[in-house]
Formats: sequence, C-alpha cells, structure tokens
Amino acid sequence: MKEVRPPNLHQASGLVEHYFRHEYGGLAALLVRRVGLGRLEAVEDAVQAALLAATTAWLEDVPREPRAWLYRVAHNHLVGVLRQEGGHRRILEGVQAEEETQAPNEAFFEGEIEDELLRMLFVCCDDELPVESRLVLALKTLCGFSVEEIAFRLFTSEANVYKRLARARERLREAELDTDTPPLESLRFRLPSVHAVIYLLFNEGYLSIDPEQAIRVELCDEAIRLGELLATHPVGAGPTSFALLALMHLHAARLTARQDAAGGLLLLEEQARRLDPDHFQRGASWLAKAADGDELTRYHLEAGIAAEHCFAPSFAETRWGAIAELYAMLERIAPSPLHTLNRAIALAEAEGPVAGLASLQGAVPPAWLEGHYLWDAVLSDLHRRAGHPEVAAQHREAALLAAPSQAVRRLLERRLSQEV
Amino acid sequence: MSKHKYMVLFRNGPVSGGEGRPSPEQMQQMFAAYKTWMETFKGQIVDVGDKLKPGGKVVTAAGVADGPFVEVKELIGGYMIVSADDYDGAVEVVRACPAVHAPGAILEIRELMGAKM
Repeated sequence: MKEVRPPNLHQASGLVEHYFRHEYGGLAALLVRRVGLGRLEAVEDAVQAALLAATTAWLEDVPREPRAWLYRVAHNHLVGVLRQEGGHRRILEGVQAEEETQAPNEAFFEGEIEDELLRMLFVCCDDELPVESRLVLALKTLCGFSVEEIAFRLFTSEANVYKRLARARERLREAELDTDTPPLESLRFRLPSVHAVIYLLFNEGYLSIDPEQAIRVELCDEAIRLGELLATHPVGAGPTSFALLALMHLHAARLTARQDAAGGLLLLEEQARRLDPDHFQRGASWLAKAADGDELTRYHLEAGIAAEHCFAPSFAETRWGAIAELYAMLERIAPSPLHTLNRAIALAEAEGPVAGLASLQGAVPPAWLEGHYLWDAVLSDLHRRAGHPEVAAQHREAALLAAPSQAVRRLLERRLSQEV
Repeated sequence: MSKHKYMVLFRNGPVSGGEGRPSPEQMQQMFAAYKTWMETFKGQIVDVGDKLKPGGKVVTAAGVADGPFVEVKELIGGYMIVSADDYDGAVEVVRACPAVHAPGAILEIRELMGAKM
C-alpha cells in the first residue's frame, strides 16, 4: 500500500483559510438585497448549493473570479427555486432583469458587498427578536457559522439554535410586509445589539471550539474588520464602537503570546510578554478615542482590563487590584457569572486565594452555566491554592469532564494539577 | 499509466437533508481533502467526473418516461474514472477518496471492458 500523506488542508486547497465561510455572508447579503428579506431561507439554500457545487467544480482549477462564479451559481439556483414556487412575480421580475444582463465580474461587487454586510448585520439585530435569536441569526447568516459552533459559543443546545433560527426567519418574513430593506440610517437604534454580535464573533475566534486550532486568528480579524467597518461608518461612529474596537485590538495584541508552539493555550503566567505592536497601537488609539464623551460601557471596562494586561511588564507585576475593581464595575453594568468568576481570579492574585473564594461565597452559577467547565475550573484552582485538596479534586474532575475541546482539556489538566 | 480503467459510480445512501448539511467551513475542508487526494493519485485519476443532477429520462423501445425510476437508495449521484493495474489498485484509490466519508455514500467500482482504448 502506498503511504498516503495526511491532507494539508489549507495549502492544498489553493484558497485562503475560511474562504467559504467569508464568502457565505457576503453572498447571502447581496442576494437578500435583490430578492428581499422574506426569502432569506431560499437565499441561504442557494449560497449553500453554490459552495457545494464549487467543492467539485473547482477541483481541477479554481476560477479566476471565484466570487463572481459563486454569485452566478447561487443566483441561478435562486431563480430556479423562485420560478418553481411561482406566485412571486415581482421578485422574479427583479432577478430576471438582472439575469439578462452580463454575468457580473468581481468589480461588480466592489464596495457593495461591504455595505450589504453592514446592512444585513443591522437587519439581523431586529428589536422584535429576542437577543439570542439576533445573535444566532447573525452568526449563521453573516458569518457562515454552523449550528454546532453557534451552540457552543452561546452556551446552548443545537436544538435551541435551530428553534431560534426558525423564529428569527419567521419574524423577518413578517417584517418584510412593512418594508423591503430598511435604509441603514433608520436602523441606528440597533447599535447595541450590533456591538454584541461583533463581540461574540470575536470571542469565537479568541477561544475557539476547533480542537486542531485553539485560536483562529482569522475570526478575530473578521470581527475587527466588521468593527472597523462600523466605527468608520456614519451609522456606527461613536465611543461604544470605538471601545469595542479597542477591546478587540488589545485582546488580539496578545493572541500570538497565548499560543505555544504546539497550538496549546498557554496559562496566563506562562505567556510571553510579547505584544503584536500593530494591534497594540491601534487598540490604544481607539481606546483614547473611546474616552471622548461620558459614555461608560462594558466594552470600555473590558478594554481597560485588556489594557492592564497589555501594559503589565510581567504576571507578578500586573495590577490585579485595579483589574478586580474594573471587574466589580463590570458586574454592576453587565451582571454575568463570568465577570464574577474573573473578579474572583483577580482578587485571588491581588489578595490571595481565600479572598477570591470569599468573593464567590453565595454566588450560584445560573442553569445555563452549570456544567460549563469554567466555574468548576476556577473553584478547583482556588481551593487547591487555599489548601483544600479534596474539594479541589472534585471540581477538577467536573471541569475536565465538561471541557469543550482537547486544547482546553490539556490546559485544565496542566493548570489544575500544579503543586502549590 | 496503469493498464485498466475503472468506472466509479457514486450511489446516494439515505442522507438526512435540511439543516444537517455541511457548514461552509466543512465544505472548504472537504474541498481541500479532495485536492490532496487528487494530488496523491494524480497518475490514476483519468476523469474526476461530475455529479449528476436529480431527475432524468428513461428511454426504452416502448417510449420515453421521466426517470430514473429505481429506488432512491440506489440513485446514482455521480461518477469518475480511475486507472489501476487491478481491482486492488482501484480500491486503494477509491478508498482514499473523501467521498467515501460522505454520509450514506456507496461507491461502486466497475472495470471498463476496454473495447475503446
């Protein structure tokens, strides 16, 4: 038998990493603009079909203008489906008129795709939708995430994600009766939801489910790209967008430091104090812009925390007291058990493990977090350091069982078995 | 070039449709896996083939009908042609093909008679 080399996925494909996922959002947004929000599901099917067709059609050669190729195939698929359904005369007239014109080339999409992505982002953030549904819809439609990836990131089940998607699409169909595609300016009030979606997208890249690649820098880059699009557009330019962008850049500045050579996530203590100068500089400059005005959002506080970590010359010299205070403010602005946990961690560094444990006294993880590895991991760590090995071991077991990926499990094993 | 040619027929097993389809990310990985497979066996893949659209016509002496009218689980969904010295060689190529891992996929290998070489 011949030795078969393990596939080197990204070099062999001739496509940049995440190409299909990135194209998914742009194509869906473009097509929705042409046939209306009510046809979102048909649009997603068409984009899906086009990408699937590409996986065989491109085997011998990737076309010179891959995006135009995908658009054409998705568009034709969509026209076919709409024609079969009939009764959508108005929609059909629109797409057919275009069908008769020349097949578009890449230049056709220049600029337009960015505007449409931004518009779709705002459309997904419909205030009539529960916030969870907005996130799910945006992650699915704009970012091309699979249901599995969304479920992990939002601490929920896949069945729940399906349900939220269905509800969201139904709402968009209803909304279409009022207005086809609302102008971007009229959607300005949806900014908070837009910020939340971008931040979630960033986090998906920052601590990824993908066991082979613990940190997918490209996803963080994409969130930053959307954030920049927003912050430099009249509809989004403001302190909150700036703070969010600062936060993402400051986190991204430490991305390479967070990964060891084998791709395993590094413990904070082990992280080299090596910053990406470009991200760091841009993060600091957006943070300065964000301080203009008297808005104080969770993004400001989280950017402040990220900045503390960036500025700290070493783990020991980190200003843990200041970080604990920032987390305390964060808990007041945006209550979350994750902030409670992080404050406990910072307190443990500033004042000792007993102080960290004391801050968790009486705090009960909500049902959606129960079973998630973080709560148990932190309790195990603090109990071990406080000299309660039995309790520590119990929480360690629970944390390892619930670890969502191999990379996280390895990190927990290392961290939670350290000698005092 | 090996002596014998083999036609590989892709039959669609029962596949759950709807939302369970591959994500864009998975599709890109599939594509990359195919590229690697083609690179590995490039001397033996005569025609990478194509996928067949659903539907079709069935022609007999009695006339023409809409087809194909075999059971769904036997539907041919695509084809390709590989070359090898013998069936073992052909099986080696086909088993390494990423299509084998598609849900419910059945790949059938048939040697060409070689009437037209």
